[in-house]
Amino acid sequence: MSAMTETLAASVEVVPMSKSTGRRTDMRSRGEPVLWSLGGALAIGIVMILGFLALVFSNGVMTFVPKPLVVVTEGDGELTAGEPFRSELFKPVAEDLAKLSPEWQQRIKDADGYANRTLYRIGNFDIYGEDFRWVPDFDATKFEEPKNLVFVERMEWGPFVGRVVGFKIDGVDQPFTSLDDSKFRDVHDASRERAQDIRKIERGDIGDINHALEQERLNLRKIEMASGRNSAEYKTAQESLNTRSAALQLQYNELAATVSKLREANAKNTLTLAEIGGREKTIEFSALVRAYAANDLSFAQKTGVYFSRWAEFLGGEPREANTEGGVFPAIFGTAAMTLLMVIVVAPFGIITALYLREYAKQGRLVSFVRISVNNLAGVPSIVYGVFGLGFFAYVLGGSLDSLFYAERLPNPTFGTGGLLWSALTLALLTVPVVIVATEEALAAVPRSMREGSLACGASKWQTIKYIVLPRAMPGVMTGIILAMARGAGEVAPLMLVGVVKLAPELPIDGVFPFVHLERSFMHLGFHIFDVGFQSRNAEAGKPMVFVTTVLLIGLVTIVNATAIVVRSRLKRRFAGSQF
Amino acid sequence: MFKTFAGALVLAGSFAAVSAYALDVDPALKDYKKQAGVEGSLKSIGSDTLNNVMALWAETFNKEYPSVKIEIEGKGSGTAPPALIGGTAQFGPMSRPMKSGEMDDFEKKYGYKPTGLRVAVDSLAVFVNKDNPIKCLSLAQVDAMFSKTRKKGGKEDIKTWGQVGLTGEWANKPISLYGRNSASGTYGYFKETALGEGDYKDSVKEQPGSSAVVQGIASDKFAIGYSGVGYKTADVRTVPLSAKDGASCFDANSDTAYAGDYPITRFLYIYMNAKPGAKMEPLRAEFVKFVLSKQGQTGVIKDGFYPIPSAIAQQDLKMLGVE
Repeated sequence: MSAMTETLAASVEVVPMSKSTGRRTDMRSRGEPVLWSLGGALAIGIVMILGFLALVFSNGVMTFVPKPLVVVTEGDGELTAGEPFRSELFKPVAEDLAKLSPEWQQRIKDADGYANRTLYRIGNFDIYGEDFRWVPDFDATKFEEPKNLVFVERMEWGPFVGRVVGFKIDGVDQPFTSLDDSKFRDVHDASRERAQDIRKIERGDIGDINHALEQERLNLRKIEMASGRNSAEYKTAQESLNTRSAALQLQYNELAATVSKLREANAKNTLTLAEIGGREKTIEFSALVRAYAANDLSFAQKTGVYFSRWAEFLGGEPREANTEGGVFPAIFGTAAMTLLMVIVVAPFGIITALYLREYAKQGRLVSFVRISVNNLAGVPSIVYGVFGLGFFAYVLGGSLDSLFYAERLPNPTFGTGGLLWSALTLALLTVPVVIVATEEALAAVPRSMREGSLACGASKWQTIKYIVLPRAMPGVMTGIILAMARGAGEVAPLMLVGVVKLAPELPIDGVFPFVHLERSFMHLGFHIFDVGFQSRNAEAGKPMVFVTTVLLIGLVTIVNATAIVVRSRLKRRFAGSQF
Repeated sequence: MFKTFAGALVLAGSFAAVSAYALDVDPALKDYKKQAGVEGSLKSIGSDTLNNVMALWAETFNKEYPSVKIEIEGKGSGTAPPALIGGTAQFGPMSRPMKSGEMDDFEKKYGYKPTGLRVAVDSLAVFVNKDNPIKCLSLAQVDAMFSKTRKKGGKEDIKTWGQVGLTGEWANKPISLYGRNSASGTYGYFKETALGEGDYKDSVKEQPGSSAVVQGIASDKFAIGYSGVGYKTADVRTVPLSAKDGASCFDANSDTAYAGDYPITRFLYIYMNAKPGAKMEPLRAEFVKFVLSKQGQTGVIKDGFYPIPSAIAQQDLKMLGVE
């Protein structure tokens, strides 16, 4: 900004002053209006960006703060307990107004017919069939914040708001004192640990068995397709499948027995809760994520809840159709896809630019190619999505499937959206950015340096490799950074070529071949769209939208910052070797 | 398939929902039992209405079989038949029965018709803003609001809230219409049942998802729109509907749905490619059994829709041969 002000100031001095004619200074000729409008435009831009960031961050950061629980007694004696979510003014209808006390009628009249109402997050969806409720102020007769009210986050059915009635360890009733009771904490930890063990066995060991069985089955199918059902090979393969599956079945039974033992142990540790109206619900400790007495929290406890929620969000898997739990698969998917895209787009873009700038004979054809590349950058991203689906997934993927994965058909392997096709589609989308940036960087390398190199007897390729490319590298990196930033934030084309609502299986894991390019994946950008505009409970999804947005902005910032650091290192390396 | 919902439910017989509050699954539904050797990947492409139920099913099914991969895409019922025909998905959830044209396309490729399972019951709800005092609307009135052809016999085009009897500040306020896009099964079903196959007005704001419809109505005081009852939030309310002018009105809840009183009740379906007479591979068979079990139908309640009676579940399982 200061540079701009200086140039403007300089230009102002050049304008001849009109003092000699006796007229007052003409603002227009001094360029003041231009200066003001330029500065104003910049200020508006900055205010908009800061305002947007402030909105997103304030909402996102506050979401996980534990809020107090309020019990509202309504005029007819009905009790509502929940977190106050937001409140608004509204105009009550005439017939409701008529039922009110004269005092309230007067108050509403004084406020131009408006009354206030508050939305409470009441939880207990399994009992009430709704998770939010509006309570108008004129209906409420009493507000309380009882200390024994607890907010319980569960694995299923969303939160529970109510009181703890009692709990059982190994089927024996225990007296309940507080949530900080060591017995309570221990049984919760033990149950959660068992639940994790169950998960480990089911996902790891049983998963391996199932995987082996599936492989055998596919193998058999392959042999059947190659040599027919009546061949000798098929019969041997079938026999070996039978013996192998019998052995695996035995292993499976053992593991299943272990799991059911753990399950039984967990089923004996239960917690009984009562909602504000007295209806009770018993849940297992293993299905309890966290519980806290919302109105009786010290600052340290509040911080503890806050950070444990963030930890769950960043490291956990989504639950309840993505409205709860974490977003780890989405973070992982976004990062994996962006990296894969860079691996494809960087060499591709650089090579193209090198040829266009250094080797191609500058003429009509080359400038036509250049115009086309520039125009590609302006094509709407969804068009790339359609192309990716039609060409990569259906044509390329379809042929790959019939060549290499015929035994799995009709279930597609590569013939549908997946990580590889998404990365390729985005690479196509961002390649113009890299080409343009690289060309600029190559053009900026001084001609004298090339000539010096050539004069020393270096070949053209040697000159490019040792003189031109290293000096163009910072500019090339800028292009790649821009491409990454664009790629990481793009959602529309991905919806067609591989991003899905739910794909808990990560594209990279411990099963051979470790990187599964054919798998669909989750993406933070799509997650925001899904939670905010596709989930059953849009109200509960809103805060999650902000948190996920904060995360996506953070992720893009981190990726860009890393790339910028790398670029400035490169710049420094060559700064000293200039002539 | 059953054309009318009420007829199908008579078959279901004894099952009656206890109350709108704390809905329960039919106790006669089977408990799901886990099997060995279930592995592989499943993909579902289709209805947006069923999107969240599918995700809930996938989650719970994954708890039983952690190594099974299930991917879900929900952009509208219209996307299900092409996905089934192209083989890109094993399941095609739809919020309307498949049209005969779609069935024929499928048959042309495979030589048999796709199989549809009834997996949930939904009252296609007409939502208004929570402050809207409207007590009841007849289907003819709804038709006159949404349609330019008025096949249900409405006498005049209904443009303002005053025309359906609201007074005060509402009387002169224009009705703002929200609906789904044409790929949606909800769009098709509403067109068929509420508009009598008439045409929508051009002023209907077509939304890409059910949740978007509800959010639009929540922030627009004079709005009306339709979507699955499962998407109801505290900011909107359902309008009780009557089948004919002057007939009694029924609100959208499980009681009126099961009794067949609510005029636009529907089944939600999952379509799949099942060769008649052939045994289905374990993965798909287990998923279907799971969906039609106690556990699966609990997921339906969780998402705000109504579970199907056991008799219908048995019938559909028998049809697929996976009991």
